Amino acid sequence: MEYLSSDKIAIIDLASSEITEEELDEDLVKERIGGAGITTTLYERFKDEDPIVLGSGLLTGTLVPASALGIMTAKSPLTGKVCHAPLTLYAGMELKYSGFDYIVFKGASEKPVYLWIHDGIADINDADEVWGKDVWESTDYMREVIGDNMIQVLTIGKAGESGSDIAQVCINYWASGDRWGFGNLLGQKKLKLIAIRGMGLLEIADPEGFVNTCRELLSEVKAGSFAGKKGIAEIPVAMGEEDIKDWIAPLIHRHSSCFNTPFAANTFVYLDEDPALLKEPDIEEPGFLLTDIYGLLGFKKLGSSASDSCRILRDCAKYGIDAVAVAELSQKSGRTDPEEIKKSFPGLKGPLMSSGKGVFSPCTPPKPIFTDFSLPSDGSGDAQWWERRQAVAYIFGIDPLFALMSPELSEEKLLELSNIGTELNLTSEILDSVIGEITK
Amino acid sequence: MGVKIDGLKCTACMACELACGYHRDDAFALLSSCIMPYRGRKKKDYFGILLKEEESLVVTRPEGVEIMRIGMVEEGDQENEKAKADSSAKPMLLREPCDLCSDVEDGPFCIRFCPFEAISIE
Repeated sequence: MEYLSSDKIAIIDLASSEITEEELDEDLVKERIGGAGITTTLYERFKDEDPIVLGSGLLTGTLVPASALGIMTAKSPLTGKVCHAPLTLYAGMELKYSGFDYIVFKGASEKPVYLWIHDGIADINDADEVWGKDVWESTDYMREVIGDNMIQVLTIGKAGESGSDIAQVCINYWASGDRWGFGNLLGQKKLKLIAIRGMGLLEIADPEGFVNTCRELLSEVKAGSFAGKKGIAEIPVAMGEEDIKDWIAPLIHRHSSCFNTPFAANTFVYLDEDPALLKEPDIEEPGFLLTDIYGLLGFKKLGSSASDSCRILRDCAKYGIDAVAVAELSQKSGRTDPEEIKKSFPGLKGPLMSSGKGVFSPCTPPKPIFTDFSLPSDGSGDAQWWERRQAVAYIFGIDPLFALMSPELSEEKLLELSNIGTELNLTSEILDSVIGEITK
Repeated sequence: MGVKIDGLKCTACMACELACGYHRDDAFALLSSCIMPYRGRKKKDYFGILLKEEESLVVTRPEGVEIMRIGMVEEGDQENEKAKADSSAKPMLLREPCDLCSDVEDGPFCIRFCPFEAISIE
């Protein structure tokens, strides 16, 4: 695959630490486009060895607005289904430039290991030194060992190491959209973390045409219904939880975006520092980046203060456990004290109402945000629309939250950009077929 | 005339860095950009933009802008050491300086692709 690609797949046998490489066949892209289309194909190919597949979308890491998404595909230990978790922030982009389009982990290691991918090189290393560390310590450790503080680290914490049903794969220090217990799966395979650095180059079939189309699209997108809004609290507000804005406001430091995403959906709160501080704080860990809408809402609904909620969310991220599940299980057991909730982490178990029912992470709201996408006002079309919209995002590599607020990123436009960028003749019929396959 | 950055509008999305890389390489890559968010201090949420100009390294932080003369800040300067660390894969001082995308009619790519209008010409 010549364009918008590193043309390489890594297949990693965790049992033997053997790594083999394959070219990304252009015919596979013509048939399955990319992202979840191809991670699903690779999952099926290796399904007897309980694989975990990482990948990026066809347009991930480009000037297409919101092209931030990487994908983790595996069988959820929670639901038993083959599911997809979103890799947002900078993780999807760094994966795209790492020199590998897709990475398959098959089998299980007998001892703790980690993967370090960069410059088209994949190395499996002994993880004895990092096994036992929490998520924050693990990320710090890898960045120090490798000497690069922009490495993206997909890591499990103690929840994943100890086989918790609700263990999460975290991104650097923060919660991810893994609501499938994939953290547990990594722990079972003794795969502590995946460290990624992207310094490659992506060729474009028609560079000028692609970039001009991206520029026109960005102009349309920026004028969309989210204009003037920023921060994670805007999402629950759009879902009717209007009081969350005043509740969280005193803690807000700044808002930031995932890679090339025009809506700043991540909000940093300062918990041990003045949120209004503009200079670099002296303390190393002044707060927490809120990336998990439903985790925040879960603790708010538990009656916790904003400060306590954010501290519990920070504890969840350090432990590597799904905060939404923690909030639900805390509510069921009547636990509201933050210290008691933290102490309960090791014993928490399902069943959960908050688990996703489909194949895409339920970390995004189940309906359009800030706009209606011309759907029926009674909500009757929301579920089917949401699944298709998430499928499109996971195939092309579009931030799945942003996909719900920007009709301008239409299927037609994403296909057009894919064809300009690759010279492949991808059609809506092919897209329909891929969506059908990954959602069945 | 030069590029002006509003550090408080910036969300560290990296669109400017990728757009600049495209201008340099006619492909998507990040290592030759002369503008980049520094994003290595995420636990503190401390981010801003580095810009390499012909004679200066412009560091836009939340608290303001600092212009450091190249040649005056090479070694031993604490902030310069931090700036170098923040672009550790290829230090900014080794990159080509900003040419305001002088070979294209519509002006600098970083300005055109910033979703937050944090970059302008002054």
